[in-house]
Amino acid sequence: MAAAALASAQSFTPINPPPCDFSDQFYADNGIVTGQLVQRFGDNNGTTRLTGPPATGSQHNYVADSNCSVTDPTRRNFRILATTGGNSDDNNSPFTCADLGPSASPGCVNQPSVPETLEYISILAFLHSEAAFETSYTRNVGSINGGLDGVQQNPGENISIVNSANPRGIRMEDVIGHFEAYAHIHQKLSNGTFALNPCAADMVSSLAPATPCFSVADQNGVSDVATPNLAMNWRFATNRNAMDGSDGNCINNTDQNCKHKTQSDSPYGYFCDDLLGAWIITYFWFTKPANTTDSVCAPVFANMAAQNGKDLDGYPNILTAHELNDELEANGCGAEGQEAVDGTDGGAVWLICPAIPDPRNGAIATDAFLDHVATGSFLDTFISSNFTCLKNNGKFCSESAPEQ
Amino acid sequence: MQYSRGKQGVPKMTTIKDGNSSRRDFLKLAAGAAAFGPYFLFPERARATQQTLKIAKWAHFLPEYDQWFVNALAKDWGQKNDTNVTVDIIPVEQIRDRAFAEVKAGKGHDLFIFPWPSAEFCRHVIDHGEIYQAVASRVGAIQQLAHRSTFDFQTKKYFGFTDFWIPSPVHFFQDYWGQIGMPLGPGHYGSLLGGGKQIRDKFGAPCGLAFSPTLEGNVTLHTILYAFRALILDENGNVAFNKNVFAKVALKYLQDLYQQSGTPEQLTWGSAGNVRAMLAHKTSCSINGISLLRTAEKESPETAKKMRLQPPLIGRNGMGITALPHVTNCSAIWSFAQNQEGAKKFAGDLVDSSRAGYEQSKGCNLPVYPKTLPDFVLRIEKDPTADPPYKYAEIQDALHWTPNLGVPGVTTPAYMEIFNSSVVPRMVARVLKGEQSAEDAAAAGAAEMQRIADKWKQIGA
Repeated sequence: MAAAALASAQSFTPINPPPCDFSDQFYADNGIVTGQLVQRFGDNNGTTRLTGPPATGSQHNYVADSNCSVTDPTRRNFRILATTGGNSDDNNSPFTCADLGPSASPGCVNQPSVPETLEYISILAFLHSEAAFETSYTRNVGSINGGLDGVQQNPGENISIVNSANPRGIRMEDVIGHFEAYAHIHQKLSNGTFALNPCAADMVSSLAPATPCFSVADQNGVSDVATPNLAMNWRFATNRNAMDGSDGNCINNTDQNCKHKTQSDSPYGYFCDDLLGAWIITYFWFTKPANTTDSVCAPVFANMAAQNGKDLDGYPNILTAHELNDELEANGCGAEGQEAVDGTDGGAVWLICPAIPDPRNGAIATDAFLDHVATGSFLDTFISSNFTCLKNNGKFCSESAPEQ
Repeated sequence: MQYSRGKQGVPKMTTIKDGNSSRRDFLKLAAGAAAFGPYFLFPERARATQQTLKIAKWAHFLPEYDQWFVNALAKDWGQKNDTNVTVDIIPVEQIRDRAFAEVKAGKGHDLFIFPWPSAEFCRHVIDHGEIYQAVASRVGAIQQLAHRSTFDFQTKKYFGFTDFWIPSPVHFFQDYWGQIGMPLGPGHYGSLLGGGKQIRDKFGAPCGLAFSPTLEGNVTLHTILYAFRALILDENGNVAFNKNVFAKVALKYLQDLYQQSGTPEQLTWGSAGNVRAMLAHKTSCSINGISLLRTAEKESPETAKKMRLQPPLIGRNGMGITALPHVTNCSAIWSFAQNQEGAKKFAGDLVDSSRAGYEQSKGCNLPVYPKTLPDFVLRIEKDPTADPPYKYAEIQDALHWTPNLGVPGVTTPAYMEIFNSSVVPRMVARVLKGEQSAEDAAAAGAAEMQRIADKWKQIGA
């Protein structure tokens, strides 16, 4: 469907383009071997993952759209319909219900005391091993040989990857390593018991028995982190730091205002350095059954469930880093880890899933659909209601509420 | 701030000259033994009116740096400041005892330079705040790593002055890790475990992280504990260790790492033992200052060629990419120092030689004040010695992933006593040797930390 058609279907003037897959060239320019992209939307002449998770039934995850590369030359002509909703782990998203006082906007009513923050992303592909990172690559851009009647000469500039590092000497794996996306795979087995560790020797937590375990490997061509395998929604550490520190993040260690911080903020900004919008996946899991009577974990689960609702396995939803690290993991009720970077664990180590910078004003197209884990109570409501508002009105619910 | 230049207050012309004998002595010692702690004595021909400045300094991992420090930096400074400068180079493993001995005697050197924050000696040093203030006009405000490493929140004074530091990246052999599908290194602690096991099983090369009660062992183990959120002290200086499960989980991880990929030598290595194992290509990886790679470039270029750096491993429990500094160079001036003014000036003037220090240390010493080395990133992208030349670019963001010793709080006397008395390596060794369970070792370690913290609270520091 063309963008013009989309525009006519919406009641506002689209400004932000909807998401599309990156071009092969852009992947390569950013240090990714396109042949190593696993289950990339649009591969095999537009058949790979056209249907199937996250789409359901005959629903399509993407659609051919010739406007993609016109609007943005770094994109190829597959527009992504599957829009994954999740929470911003570091509370750093601008789309938040931070103000819960009397003046709270209508979209934030009944939100938890820890503000829930939103991100919408497009899961374009998965990476399973370090083989996905280019070791050597060069492309010359901007060269001119003989323009202006042979007078104009310009050797151009090389976009290069040398020994896995870009011209700034930075490896893409290092950049991505600063951005963690948190996935929680189903732990409840078909027989009703709970697996308390992943089936990967290098991820096993000492806090729980190694078996039975839950799979972290792709099964039958479906990613281990495909939506049906998840028990709760993603959380993302998007780190929207500005390169120049204009948002108050400490990028300059000589800044007097930063000397009391334990460390500077990330040297990398998500939208400035991680141009593919990739994350390393941090898998997290519960080390006690959801129905545990453990004197420590049972109250922890109950308190968080009362606040956040429960996931599909009956565990409490985790919305923030504080909840995961300080409440769940610190009490021995949860653990986390990443898959082996050589791919031997069989699932996704990294994701190519750029966050939509600003989902308003057309970035959520009328034919887009929300990919999220269907959990209980408000979590769904917050993500899904805002998705609907964005799709229909080009605004968050809190922004469009007065007109509703 | 004004520094006096001796009792007469009159700058003197050059008076420092190398007597033949002392020059020869220096060269003889410097030629091969700086790492073993030679005693360097510098110009002796002092006039009656001339000031003397006695410096004790930890022995740098690269002996040539100390040669420059003694032969050029201290000598030139002495000439410019009409001061007879002596420099004693002391092995890292002895420097703490030497400092205690001087405190006990109430005399010794004027300036004592530690490879870590001198918090333990906070009651016996001057306030170094005026040095930071003095250099601010030249190189900018104090930087956070220095501030948090040397500021005493109890007294609101600085117990030391920091001019450079050395980060702790991961060193790994690409030939080993490449053959198991991890050519870019382990990346995170899970792959360090899995990959380390594969390499030891296939090639007989164990993982070479130092676990012994040495500087390397302490930095490595404190880094791992912190990366697992197993905090030693909280931000208020209270013991946080073993107050949750993170300590036990970290110890069990270390147990797995040791059993599946390690070697008993990790527990017995002396100072720089992990470095020598890597230089011999006997281990697959280590955590160390880049002096390891620099030494390899000098002694075994072929080995160095196979060695790569990577930023610290991604931590668990929300800690991200982080590693404690291998060195926090800290100048401390005793309150009983004979020449406090000279020592202040010398310490402050160190920032003016940050660039030269960086070069003479082969890039190991990263200036605390970025303005003293504005082309740092350009330099490490095209290092003249490295093969490939951009190898060191991996540390370009080191200041972002390096917190101070004592994090999440500032560096405190209690933390530094825990660090320097090797509470952590001894605790870990008990687990790895099977003498104690992770639970019991964590409890015992926490009790030892508590005793140290209580002692310092009683002292009031």
